[in-house]
Amino acid sequence: MVSVRNLRYVYEGGIEALKNINLDIASGEYMALVGGNGSGKTTLAKHFNGLLRPTGGKVFIMGRPAAEMSVAELSRIVGYAFQNPDHQLFCSTVEEEIAFGPRNLGFAEVQTKERVGYAAETLELEDVLEKPPASMDLGTRRRVSIASVIAMDPKVLILDEPTTGLDADETKALMGIVSGLNREGRTVVLITHEMKLVSEHANRVVVMLDGRIVLDSDARGAFSDLELLKRCSLLPPPVTCLAHRLSHLGVSREVLSTDELVFELTRPGGDRR
Amino acid sequence: MTGFMDFYTPGSTFLHRMDPRVKILAVVLLSLLAFILSQLLYLLVLFAFIFLLLYLARVSFGKAVFALKFLFRFMALVVVLWPLFDPVGTPVLFELGILKVTLPAIERGVAAALRIGCLATVWYILMFTTQQRDLVHALVRMGLRFDFGLALAIALRFIPTFSYTIEAIKDAQRARGMELEKGGLLRRSRNYVAVLLPAIVSAIRTADTLSLTLQSRAYGARRDRTYLRELRMRRSDFVALSVAVALFVLPAVAKYILAVTI
Repeated sequence: MVSVRNLRYVYEGGIEALKNINLDIASGEYMALVGGNGSGKTTLAKHFNGLLRPTGGKVFIMGRPAAEMSVAELSRIVGYAFQNPDHQLFCSTVEEEIAFGPRNLGFAEVQTKERVGYAAETLELEDVLEKPPASMDLGTRRRVSIASVIAMDPKVLILDEPTTGLDADETKALMGIVSGLNREGRTVVLITHEMKLVSEHANRVVVMLDGRIVLDSDARGAFSDLELLKRCSLLPPPVTCLAHRLSHLGVSREVLSTDELVFELTRPGGDRR
Repeated sequence: MTGFMDFYTPGSTFLHRMDPRVKILAVVLLSLLAFILSQLLYLLVLFAFIFLLLYLARVSFGKAVFALKFLFRFMALVVVLWPLFDPVGTPVLFELGILKVTLPAIERGVAAALRIGCLATVWYILMFTTQQRDLVHALVRMGLRFDFGLALAIALRFIPTFSYTIEAIKDAQRARGMELEKGGLLRRSRNYVAVLLPAIVSAIRTADTLSLTLQSRAYGARRDRTYLRELRMRRSDFVALSVAVALFVLPAVAKYILAVTI
């Protein structure tokens, strides 16, 4: 789906934000892109839809070189929902807002309506279609911004810290929706600082540090190397940390959820004192 | 571009160390001087003097080029255009229909360009060598109401932030298939709405938050303020002030009282 070869990116002013990145994202993957602030996550993701162009190396989207395509063309394939919904909401109704993308891509009015209907249904916004997005709560605004990206029917969906500022219920609801989109066959790239979300949802974790990919594995593997995570300013979910502390009792270090820890502690056998 | 939002170049030259109040006053006086002088030779001397100051300010080459590039283009434009609209005087150099170019007109054009050059450069020097907060602080100590000074400081402070926000908004809308440069007038103006509206909303939100943080830090609790950084005139500041005043007053007296052409 997305292939990155020897990607290098230097910001104006000489800061080398990406150093020789190689990455393949397969269709249908749910990938978490994690790392400390300034590690290069967003810079990398912005290359997937052409908002940034490589200083060196190449990016391929569905086998085609991204360099040959405009951001608008790429946005048909790779949808990017930004962290701050207020950076994109400007219409007087949610419906208009969601329709902006499809209209930009030149969809016919019938088709646009269909896309808006689908996006509103998926993001649970049917009841607020006529309301102004600016005055809604943050959770809803974020759903509107994701709906406005989904409406373009992208095969890949990049979510840049989608849960920042959301409460537990809003987070759960939103992540449930995202999982649904992934089950539909969409590739999801989740940029986040919340390792709990990563452990619950992602089937692949890519860890970045100083513009390099330092770890690329499934969630279980990613959270087993505490030293490396620490260097990347990351902390595994509390339950995984607890499992690490209990490992001398024979508890597996690869625990990802409370249920798994309970299982580990109650299973017969093992060396427990 | 983003690197040049703030012209200030850190340094420790005498221009950096000068009391900002003296600096502002000197800049105003030198600007006025550029208007008093009308003889080409004196303007050239003033221009050279100001460029000497610019050199002494040890401004980074990149910033100086960035600032002066536009200025020199503009000065060249003035020199070229002035004679076309000012056909007064003799000798006439050449005539073509309604077009008449005279030597005094060219001289006046060059003088105007030099005047603009002096004016712009001397203000550039002020910006290059003075931190924004010192500038505002100086204005407040010179009698500007503190809240106006604060508003000015905040406005200057938020220019880079705001430009960053606009870039982020552009990215977000481009990711939704918007192409700023494409389409007819209607489509394009709609696209600008898609950038400007979130920008305005975000500016209002920022202002709202900012006013709350100001209040929660006891802004306006007392009428008489104390300052963390006191401005104190040193001997070198008095010298600089005297030089600036003399540079202005002597030619002014010569021109308006002694009626000498300068």
